[in-house]
Amino acid sequence: MSALMTLTVLAQAAAGEVGSGRIQGGWGYVWVSYGITWGAFALYSLSLWLRRPKNSPAGPKE
Amino acid sequence: MGKFLRMALPPIALGLLVTGHYIGLAVAPPDREMGDVQRIMYAHVPAVWIALMALTINFICSVVYLFKPSWKTDSLAEASAEVGLLFGTVGVLLGAIWGRPTWGVYWTWDPRLTTAAILLVSYMGYMALRRFVEDPEKRAVWSAVVGIIAAVDLPIIWYSVKWWRSLHQVQSSPKTVDPEMVLPLRISAFAFLAFMILFILHRYRIALHERQAEVALPDALPTDGPQANRTPGVV
Repeated sequence: MSALMTLTVLAQAAAGEVGSGRIQGGWGYVWVSYGITWGAFALYSLSLWLRRPKNSPAGPKE
Repeated sequence: MGKFLRMALPPIALGLLVTGHYIGLAVAPPDREMGDVQRIMYAHVPAVWIALMALTINFICSVVYLFKPSWKTDSLAEASAEVGLLFGTVGVLLGAIWGRPTWGVYWTWDPRLTTAAILLVSYMGYMALRRFVEDPEKRAVWSAVVGIIAAVDLPIIWYSVKWWRSLHQVQSSPKTVDPEMVLPLRISAFAFLAFMILFILHRYRIALHERQAEVALPDALPTDGPQANRTPGVV
């Protein structure tokens, strides 16, 4: 019962702080995200270039 | 037109990407609560938008193929699915990275994340199906059916944050976002759109070349009559 009271008091004390903070730093997450994006674009471009048709097929054109 | 797009689009796409990401990383203000971590938005949100767009193209091609079979439609379906899967994977990965500092976890079985995971698995299955089936006509028909079934998930992903209680925020609009954040988001979105068109264009050429090589195989044999596709009815 006393534990519940303690939690209630703590919750009331923290209520004013909910949603008022700001995440500090985090640039590591940002750079990893952009690195994945640019890397994915570069690798996919490379894969398209490697898979490009070497010569025109005998069939009808595009 | 195709050649012009292939020549003009790369510098346009690259220019937009550099500009959009530079403004997003160096000029736009940090978010009030998420701080600098929010800058992931300029890559995450366009990636998901473009993935949904590419996979919608795949859905349209799948429907069209069933009514009017064509190797061009089938090739476009294949190209749009692969490119959609690329953008979708990037979007989900970036979302997971963004989730770690904001939610405390990389992954949780939230409605938006779960439906996005289902999307990736569905289109991986679509691409695997295309690899496994050797007969071009069967492959085209079966993958068109799978493409239509997989597309059911697209509107569910979009509305998941509205239909169910989700950790993921609901869609923002220019009215609810700082104008200084809207600009890099728009430029990045157009950059991703340009890359999508470019990627689909090149992947379409590869797919069409493969289809034509597949159906042209019997034509290599001597024949008296006019050459015809191995698959009658498919133009």
